[in-house]
Amino acid sequence: MMLLLAFLLSFAGLALLALSMERHWRQLRATQPLPNSTARLLRIVGSAALAISLTLCLAVDHASMASLVWVMTLAVSAFVLAMLLAWRPGWLAPLISWARS
Amino acid sequence: MYQTFRQSMTWLHTWFGLVLGFVLIVVFFFGALSVFDREIDRWAQPATRFAPQPMPSFDHLLRPVFERITEPDPDAIELARSLVDGPLPEKYPVMDWSAYTTHRDPVLDVYVSFDLPNARNPDDHVHGHQTIDPRSGTQLPASDLKIGSEFFYPLHYSLHLEWMELGYWIVGFAALSMLAALVSGVVIHRKIFRELFTFRPQKQRQRVNLDLHNLTGVVALPFHFFFAFTGLVIFAGIYFPVSETQLHPLVEAHEQAAAAATGLPHDPAGIAAPLASVDAMVGDAQRRWAARGMGGDVGFLFVNHVGDANGYVSIYRAGTDRIALTGQGIHYKASTGALIREDPPETAIASVNEFLTGLHLQHFRHWLLRFLYLFGGLAGCVCIATGFLFFVEKRKQQHARDGVAGARIVDALAVATITGTLIAALSMLVANRLLPENLVDRDEWQKNVFWLTWLASGIHAFWRTTVVQDGESAPAWREQTLVVAVLAVAAPILNWLTTGDHLLVTLQARYWPVAGIDLFLLATGVLAGLVAHRLRRPALAHTRLAAMKS
Repeated sequence: MMLLLAFLLSFAGLALLALSMERHWRQLRATQPLPNSTARLLRIVGSAALAISLTLCLAVDHASMASLVWVMTLAVSAFVLAMLLAWRPGWLAPLISWARS
Repeated sequence: MYQTFRQSMTWLHTWFGLVLGFVLIVVFFFGALSVFDREIDRWAQPATRFAPQPMPSFDHLLRPVFERITEPDPDAIELARSLVDGPLPEKYPVMDWSAYTTHRDPVLDVYVSFDLPNARNPDDHVHGHQTIDPRSGTQLPASDLKIGSEFFYPLHYSLHLEWMELGYWIVGFAALSMLAALVSGVVIHRKIFRELFTFRPQKQRQRVNLDLHNLTGVVALPFHFFFAFTGLVIFAGIYFPVSETQLHPLVEAHEQAAAAATGLPHDPAGIAAPLASVDAMVGDAQRRWAARGMGGDVGFLFVNHVGDANGYVSIYRAGTDRIALTGQGIHYKASTGALIREDPPETAIASVNEFLTGLHLQHFRHWLLRFLYLFGGLAGCVCIATGFLFFVEKRKQQHARDGVAGARIVDALAVATITGTLIAALSMLVANRLLPENLVDRDEWQKNVFWLTWLASGIHAFWRTTVVQDGESAPAWREQTLVVAVLAVAAPILNWLTTGDHLLVTLQARYWPVAGIDLFLLATGVLAGLVAHRLRRPALAHTRLAAMKS
C-alpha cells in the first residue's frame, strides 16, 4: 500500500516537474503563459513529492532495496508520463488545477 | 578524425551500437524473461506446479538423496575426459554435498562434487546434480528441461556458446560497448532534460523512432547502466582470471591462511568420521539469525569434506529481504555439530560487491521490484530495436540510390533478432506442450526447436527484406509479427489442452506463476496482432500508389 502511494507520488512529482517546463505547460494551457513564480512552485512541490516517495520506499524495505525500487519507479513513471503527454495530456490537468497562470 | 567531440561520439554510438546491438537485444530480452525464470519453469513443467517449499529436513530427506548420487552426471564425466591424464577413474570419491533453493522454488536442486583422481589440475572436480521434489525426495526426470532457469537464463549471459567460454566473452564485450553507447548517447543527445518526457507519435516516422529510442534509453538509464556494469562484475573472474593465472600461488596461500584464521579446514584429514544431526545445526543457525533480527529461511546448505574428520557444515540464509544474495553463513563441525564460526559482518568492499551482484541476480522477495526490472529489460529492447529502425530508415534511400546492400542487411538482422527471437522463444514453449511426454531426449528436442525456428526466421528475414534495397519497407516485419501473434495465443491454449490449467482455473486458485505467464503470452499475442494490423497500412497505400501510377 505504501509502495503504491510511493509510486503515485513519484508519478505526480515527475508530472509537476514536467509541467514546470514551458513546452508541456502549453500542452495543458495553450493560451496562458507560465509565470516564473508558478514554474518555481511546481518544481518545489514536484521535488517534494519525489522526496516523500523515496521516504516511503525507505520505510517499507531495507535501504539497499528501497533505493532500487525508487529509481525504477521513477523510470516507469517517466515513461507513463511521456505516453500521457503524447496521447492524453488533459488527464494531467487536475494535478495543476491549483496553479496560477 | 572528426571535427567535434560530438561527431566522434556519434560514430561510436552508431557503429558499436549497431554491431553489438544484435547481441545486446538478445541479452536484454532473455534477461528480462529471466526475471521470471522460475515461473516459466512452472509453465514448462506441469508436474512441478505446486507451492514453493522451504529447505527440507536434511536428516530425514536430503541425506538419503545425497547418498543416492554416487557418480557424476554422464555429461560431466564426458567433459572430465579432457581434464585427466590417462583413463578416467572407476570410482569418484565424494567431496561435498550442497543444496540450494529460493523463495520461488517448489523443487530443490542438489549437487554433489566428486574428486577427480589423476586430474591434471588438482583443483578440478566433477559434479552430479539432481532436481528433487522436496516433499518426498523423489527425483525429477533429468530430461525435464527447466526452460526458464536452464535455457533462457544461461542464454542471457553465455549465448549457449560454451566453447572456450566464447559466449561469455561476446556478451561481456557487448556489455562494455553498452556502457560506451550509453555514455556516448548522453553526449550526443542535445536536450536530455528538456526532452526527457518527449514523445511525438504524430510526427514523421524517423522522429518517432528517435523519440522512442531516447525515451526508453534515458528514463531507464540507471537501469541500463547498472545492469551492463553489474553483469561485467559478476563475470569479472572470467574476464580477468588473475586468480587462476598469475596470482595462483597467492590464491592458494590465501585459502590456507583463511582456513587457519576461520578454523574451517581447507583439506580433508583422511580420517573417517560420522555426520551429526544437520537439522539441529539448522535450528541453531535460525536461532542465531533471529537474534540478529533477520528472517531465518535457509537458502544454501553445504556439507564440506563429506564423511571426513575435517568435515564441516555451512548454512547460509536466503537473501529474501536484502539485495545481497545469501549471507550470514554459520559453520558447524560436521562430526559433532559444534559451532566453529559465525561469519562476521561483511567488509565495505565485500558488501558493495554483494550489492552489485545481488542487484543483478535478484533473489530477493519483492514482486514490485521484479516487475520494475521486467520493465527496464523490455525498455532496453525497445531502445535497441528503435536504434536499428532509425539506422535503416536513415540510410535506405541513400543505399537504394547507391546500390549498396547495407540497410537491407541491417534490416534483415533486425527482423531476425527482434521478431525472430520472439518466434524462437514462443515456438519452444509450444514445442514444450506438443512433444510427447515420453519422448527420448525431450529436453534436446525443445532446444532444437528453439534454434531451428530462429534459423528459419533468420532465413525468412533475409528473403523478405529484399525490397529494402529499393528503399521500401520490408514485408518481413509484418509477416513475422503475425507468426508471433499466432504462437503467443497458441501457447496458452495448448497449456489448457494438455494440462487443464486454463486461466479460469489458475486465476481462481491464485496460482500466479502459470496464470501470469498465460496472461503475458495473451497480451503479447494481442499486441503483436495490433502491430501487424498497423503495419499493413503503408503496404496497402503503396500498392494503391503503384496501381495509380500504372
